[in-house]
Formats: sequence, C-alpha cells, structure tokens
Amino acid sequence: MPLLELRNVVKKYRVGREVITALNGVDLAVEAGEFIAILGTSGSGKTTLLNVAAGLEKPTRGEVIFRGVVLNKLKEWQKVAFRRKQMGFIFQSYNLIPALTAQENVAMPLLFDNVPPRERNRRAAKALKHMGLQDRSKHKPTEMSGGQQQRVAIARALVHQPRIIFADELTGNLDSQTTYEIMCSLQATVREQGQTLLLVTHDRDVARFADRIIFMVDGKIVSEERGGFNHV
Amino acid sequence: MKSYDLLSLAYRNLWRRKGRTILTVLGVVIGTTAIVVMLSLGIGLVDSQKKQMEQWGSLNMIRVHQSYSFPGEPGEEQQRLLTDEAIEEIKAIEGVVAVSPAYEVSGEAKLGKKVGYIQLVGIDPAMMEMLEFKAAHGRLLTAGDKFNVVAGSWVINNLWDPNDTLDRWEEPPQGDPLELLNKRLSLTLMNARQQKRIYSLNVVGILSDDSMENANTVFGPLAEIKKMRAFVEQGGQSSPDIPVFPGVDVEVKEPPRSRQRQQQVDQYSFALVRTADVALTRSISQELRDRGFNAYSMADSLEGIEDVARQMQAVLGGIGAITLLVAAIGITNTMVMSIYERTREIAIMKVVGASFADIRTMFLAESSLIGIIGGIIGIGLSYLISYLLNTYIGAAIGAGMGGEGTVLQVSLIPPWLVFFAVAFSMAIGLISGLYPANRAIRLDPITAMRHG
Ligand SMILES: Nc1ncnc2c1ncn2[C@@H]1O[C@H](COP(=O)(O)OP(=O)(O)O)[C@@H](O)[C@H]1O
Ligand SMILES: [Mg+2]
Repeated sequence: MPLLELRNVVKKYRVGREVITALNGVDLAVEAGEFIAILGTSGSGKTTLLNVAAGLEKPTRGEVIFRGVVLNKLKEWQKVAFRRKQMGFIFQSYNLIPALTAQENVAMPLLFDNVPPRERNRRAAKALKHMGLQDRSKHKPTEMSGGQQQRVAIARALVHQPRIIFADELTGNLDSQTTYEIMCSLQATVREQGQTLLLVTHDRDVARFADRIIFMVDGKIVSEERGGFNHV
Repeated sequence: MKSYDLLSLAYRNLWRRKGRTILTVLGVVIGTTAIVVMLSLGIGLVDSQKKQMEQWGSLNMIRVHQSYSFPGEPGEEQQRLLTDEAIEEIKAIEGVVAVSPAYEVSGEAKLGKKVGYIQLVGIDPAMMEMLEFKAAHGRLLTAGDKFNVVAGSWVINNLWDPNDTLDRWEEPPQGDPLELLNKRLSLTLMNARQQKRIYSLNVVGILSDDSMENANTVFGPLAEIKKMRAFVEQGGQSSPDIPVFPGVDVEVKEPPRSRQRQQQVDQYSFALVRTADVALTRSISQELRDRGFNAYSMADSLEGIEDVARQMQAVLGGIGAITLLVAAIGITNTMVMSIYERTREIAIMKVVGASFADIRTMFLAESSLIGIIGGIIGIGLSYLISYLLNTYIGAAIGAGMGGEGTVLQVSLIPPWLVFFAVAFSMAIGLISGLYPANRAIRLDPITAMRHG
C-alpha cells in the first residue's frame, strides 16, 4: 500500500462566472521513503496538488488516501492531528514567525503537540544542528539570510520526524549556489532518515534531485522520469 | 499548548507592538481606575459612618425596652413586658449570641470628698464578656461578685467636690478613671417613703472608653441590683445580706429619679442583646420590634446611609463601567487589527499543527493579558488616587467636621474590591477577545501556501 495516494483528483475553482480547473484527474501513488518531484510551469496546478494531497484543500472530485485513510472525508480537527504528527511543510517564502527565534520556530510543531519545553528545545537544537545552523539558534528570522531562513524552515519541517514532507518551490527565492547546497542537504537528510518527500517546482535543476520526476501540464500528469541525481 | 508557552507567546506578541499595546492597556487602566475609585467613595462613606457609630456603641448590640400601653388604650394587647419568659424568647431568636436582662437604679454616690449622681445597672456578670464589655483597668464582673462593680470611663467626671471652686460647667472635667479603681463607692438609695439605704460598692474595673454608650454607667451584678430595685420600688424590708449603714446621713439634693416607679420588680428595665454579626443586627432589631418590643441599635441608622451609598455607587460605578466598556472596545479593536496583520502567521501555525483550540486560546490569552495588566496597574493607580483623595479632600472635610487634624476617609479600597477589579478586567479582556479569536480560527490555512 502506498503511503499517499491520489485517485482521479479534480479541483475546480469558481472565479466569478468562470470555472478554473486546477487539477484535471490526477492519479498519483507515493511510496514510503520516496522522493518525488512534480515539475511544471507556473499555473500548471502544482501548489493545488500539494494542498489537496496534504488535506489543506478539499478536492472537487476524487479521493486522497493517506495511510489507508480517506483524508478528504475527515473532520478539520482530525486533519490537524495528522498534520501535527505526520506531515512537514516547506514553503517558498520560508514562512517563519518573525517574533520567534530560529530555535523557537523550529520547535513550533512540537509546541502544538504539547512536548515539554526542555525536550522541545533539545530536539529543535538537534534539527538546527543537522541543517548546519547551531550558531544561529537565538537569531530572529530578519537577522538571517534567505538561505539560512529556508534551512530553519526545513529544520521545522523535520523536527517532529514526520512520515511525509511537502515542499512547495522551496528554492524559489534562493540563488543557484544556495539552491544546490540546500537540495543536497535535504536529499541527504530524507535518505538518511527514510522519509518521504513530495516536492513541487518549476526548476529542472531542483527536480533532478528526486527519485522520480513527474511532469505536470494544465492540471494533468503527462509523463514521468527517473531522477536520482547524486551530488557525491 | 501548555499555559506557560501560551503566556510567553502572548506576552511576546503583545510586546511586538509596544505602542499599540500600551495604548490599549491604558484604556483598561483608566476603566479599572474609574470603577475602583468610584466604588471606593461609596465604601469609604459607609465605613467612616460605621466607625463614627461604633464610637457610640457596638454595631452588634441591641438595647431592648418593654413597650407600654395604658389600660384601655388601643394596642394594649401588644404590650410586651421584659419578663424572664421574654428574655428566653429573645435568646431563642436565630443570630442572637448573648442576652442579659438589666435592672437600673440611680442614686447619690460618694467617693471620698466627691459626690454626684450615678446610674447603676445590674446585668448578668457571666454575660459581660459576651456582651462586648472590655475592661481598660482592673477586671470585668464574675459570677461570684456581689457588691463589686465596674465603672464606665466617664463616671469619675460625674462626681465632684462641692467645695471645689472650679466651675464645672465651663471647665470640662478631666478626672482620671483610675481614681475610682479599687476604691469604695458609697451609694445612697431612697424609696418612695423617703427611707434611705446606703450601699458600699467596690470598684473592681474600669471599662475601656471605646464605647460612649456605657461611659456614664456603673455596672453591678444583676441579683444585687434587683434587690436594690426592690427596695426602691416597694420601700422593702431589709434583707440580711445587704450591708446597711443606717447611721450615715447623706444630704439628698433631689428625690431619686426612679422614672418607672409603676414598673413591677419582676420586669427588667431593659435587656442587652448581642448578635452574631453586624449584618444580622438590623434584621434582628426589626424582628424584636415586630414582636412588640422597643428595640434600638446603632446599626438601624446605618440603613439610611447605606441607601445613599448604594445610589451613589450605582451612579459612579455606572460612569466607571462605561469607561471600561470603551476600553473593552479598544481591546477588541486592537485584537482584530493584530489578527489582520498576523493572518499569514496564523495560517502557518494552522498548517504546522495548531488546532482551533490552540489558536483561540492564543488570542484569548493575549486579550486577557491586556485586561489583567491594565487591571493591576489600574489598582495601583486607584490606591494612589484614593490616598490623594483622603489626604487632601478627606482632610479638608474632616477639619471642617471634627476640627484640625481630623481626617475623614472619603475613599476606601477593601481587598475584595482589588480582587474583584482584577478578575473583572481579566473577564473584560477575555470577552473582548472572543470575537477576534473566532475570526482567527476561521482563517484558511492555505493563505500560507498561496500568495507566497
Ligand atoms: N484559490 C484559487 N482561486 C481561484 N483560482 C485558483 C486558486 N488557486 C489556484 N488557482 C488557479 O489554479 C491554477 C493552478 O494554480 P497553482 O496550483 O497555484 O499553480 P502552480 O503552483 O503550478 O503555479 C491557476 O490557474 C490558478 O490561477
Ligand atoms: Mg505554486
């Protein structure tokens, strides 16, 4: 059984009188431990796919099945519990909380999971160290570079050891050197910990780090390629 | 989320927008101060009246007299006499902790060269302490006492040396009550047949001067005073246990003032009743009147003052409440603005696992914190204002009423008001946060993913 499965997922948006079809019958199976990249141009429906797959948006038709549970039929609080325990998120714009330090940002999923402060700090420090940011733990997001902020965000996505990580254009705001470095460490980490990563991007150079590369055009999956670029 | 985390997060979120938070808190400070100071004025009024009254007599004492009506008059059937049964009936009223019947006699007293009229009241010696008598010097009466008496603090000033040139009406007497202590006071009683009897009384204690009601009275054991009364009323036969000094002749200046000559000896002159607490005094006093007695208590006159204070508090408290309402709107406004600014942040928290309850408590913690901080500072400010009111306005009024140096407490902040004000301001904060918090939980988490 795949960890996550999308079955004939359709997502339509109504904008005024017009109806926009963002996802037009997507079938996708993500096996545990896989690193999948979804590659497509802007507006092809990548973000929508990720949101629907993570249960943040309801599909208009079709099913999203996570570990055998139909995600789109769950109540909001049940989906929250899934996200809190088993899912990690990385965004293009980092999405760190400006008032909190790097370590507190990383610890946030644990905070909502009622992990006591000592344990929380220990695990957050460890995740930061893993991303090479041990000396930035007391810094606020505004005191760090874009690359450093995205590393903090990755540490936050990994700190609670989720089964699956969703990443949306995570290198969209970074230069190519930083992109390369970050992709290398992300790939190494998920491989090392056997985690599943579903990444969407319009950047071919990013997509080639994945085990599988899935091409998306106008809300449809059109083809698939093997990736598995190895930097070592 | 744990409450420590909540508080620390709420605190830091508020501190991010220092200026706005300070202004919002200021609104609560003004609201709380307005309510507390306004209420403290009413409380201060009642309290200073109470204190003034307590100087005249304890607020949980009731004095009960019998009610007379003359035969044939309407209401004759309602006449209540203070017999032993009546005393038992009063004792049985709920809230009454002690009752002593009292006999009253008066006569000419002599202490060395000094003479004067004194009023002697017989009460149950065992009840003295319960009835809130306090000895400033010496002791109170005990069960074995017969011709031992306790004198009020002012009694000494009713006795003077006839040969003294001092004009007693112009120069207020300043006798030392200790002059009486452990001295023999001789008392001359005269009955209707102009027969005299002289009693030698030993003063074993002086009452403390905090009750002016008893200041001019000498208290003796009930049983002995009853016999004295019997002599005065009936011209009585001498009983062997009363020391009589027939040979001593004292000039009597006026006939003894036995006001209620017609009164039977088996009826008491009055009764002293002590209630469990001040709050009960008024209702018990009313109860006694309903049963046909004449009852009077200091607490009765407190009622009118409390009515005035209540009306005053309603008006002033209303003004304070409006101020706090404005502050509450301020909190809501600040929280809505803050949620608007933090839309993205809230969405991120939801994506990484914050539940509805987490988001709601987070915002309610912020708004309550504004309320609590405002409330606490407001209490501090209220104390300052209360102090200033008492030192300047209170002193001015006090000086006008009771002479230089008298300070009238116009404002009083009791501990319950402090507790109430902080709890109230916190509740205001909490309630003001409800609408913004509900807006926050309805925010869609995908805002975090889009527009990025
Ligand atoms: N909330 C929305 N309302 C209306 N249209 C939307 C909404 N979200 C996405 N779309 C539309 O759906 C299509 C796919 O968008 P998106 O999934 O964001 O693409 P990508 O991430 O590949 O750029 C686009 O045409 C976009 O305008
Ligand atoms: Mg997108």
